[in-house]
Amino acid sequence: MNRLILLDNEAVQALRDPAHRKHRRVLDEVRILAVRTAQAMTVQAAVPTSVRVEAGWDRTAAPWAFVNRLGIVDVPLDVSQADAAAGIAKRTGVSVADAHIGAAIQTADADQITVISSDPDDMRKVAEGRRVNVVAL
Amino acid sequence: MSCTTSLWYTGGVTREEAIDRINELLGSTDPETTNTSMRIPKALRDAAALAVSELDVAPSATTLTANALRMFLQGTVVLAALELHYEEYPETRPTLADLALAAAEIDGNPLAQKPELLERSAAEVERRHPGASFEDVLLWAEAVDSCEASQRGAA
Repeated sequence: MNRLILLDNEAVQALRDPAHRKHRRVLDEVRILAVRTAQAMTVQAAVPTSVRVEAGWDRTAAPWAFVNRLGIVDVPLDVSQADAAAGIAKRTGVSVADAHIGAAIQTADADQITVISSDPDDMRKVAEGRRVNVVAL
Repeated sequence: MSCTTSLWYTGGVTREEAIDRINELLGSTDPETTNTSMRIPKALRDAAALAVSELDVAPSATTLTANALRMFLQGTVVLAALELHYEEYPETRPTLADLALAAAEIDGNPLAQKPELLERSAAEVERRHPGASFEDVLLWAEAVDSCEASQRGAA
C-alpha cells in the first residue's frame, strides 16, 4: 500500500521550532514514517511548495537544516498542480497553500493519504470528496 | 580479505554532515551505476533472483536490492537525524505511548481517540516485554479494547 503524508503550514512550523507546543507531536509522526520506511513500507512525507512559501521554509537557510534532514519531499506547484489548485481555490475559497494541499491530495497516486494539519475542516474541504485521514494538530 | 571498493569519502565528518551527504546522495538523479565488491550470502542472492523471476516483485534482482537499500537508508537517516535532535533536546524524545498514539493517528486507527488506553497498554507491554515496539502496543490496546467491549456487552 502506498501512503502519502502531507504537512500543512502549522505542522511545518511545529517541526522547525523545538519550543512550539506541537513540536513533539509532529516529530513523533515523522518518526513513525521513518521507522516504516526503514521496514520497506511505501510511505512518503511531502510538503506542497506553496506551504513551504507560507511557512518560510527555505531549504538553503540554516534554521531549516534539521527539518531538511527529515526526508520530507516537495510537491512542486507545476502546471497540473497549479491548474488543480486554481480550481480548488475558486470552488472553496481557501488560501493558495491550502488549495495546493488539496491538489496534492486529489492528484496523489497513493492508496492512503494523511494530512497533518491545524485545520481539519479545511483539509476535508479541499479534498473535495477524496478519502483523506486528517491528523488534527 | 581486502576491500576492493575504494572509499569515496574521507573520515572525520560529523554525524550532521554524514546525514546531509547521505540525503544528498539519495536525492541524486544521476543514472550512473557502478559494480561493487559488496558480498551478500549466496542463498539471499538466489532468493532475490527467484522472487524476481517467479513473483514479479521487481524488474530485476539489482532493482530489488537497490530499492530495498534505498528505503532502508531513507528511513534510518531520518532516525539518525531525530536521534541527534533528541540529544540536543532530550525533552522531545518520545515515549512508547507517544509513538503508539502517533501511529494510530497516522493510520486513522480509532485507538487514536483513546490515549489513556494507549498509555495503559504501553506501560503493560513495556513491563512484560522490554524492547517492544509501538506496533506491539497498538495490538495490545486493540485486544484490551475488544475484551473490555465484550465485558460491557455481557454486563
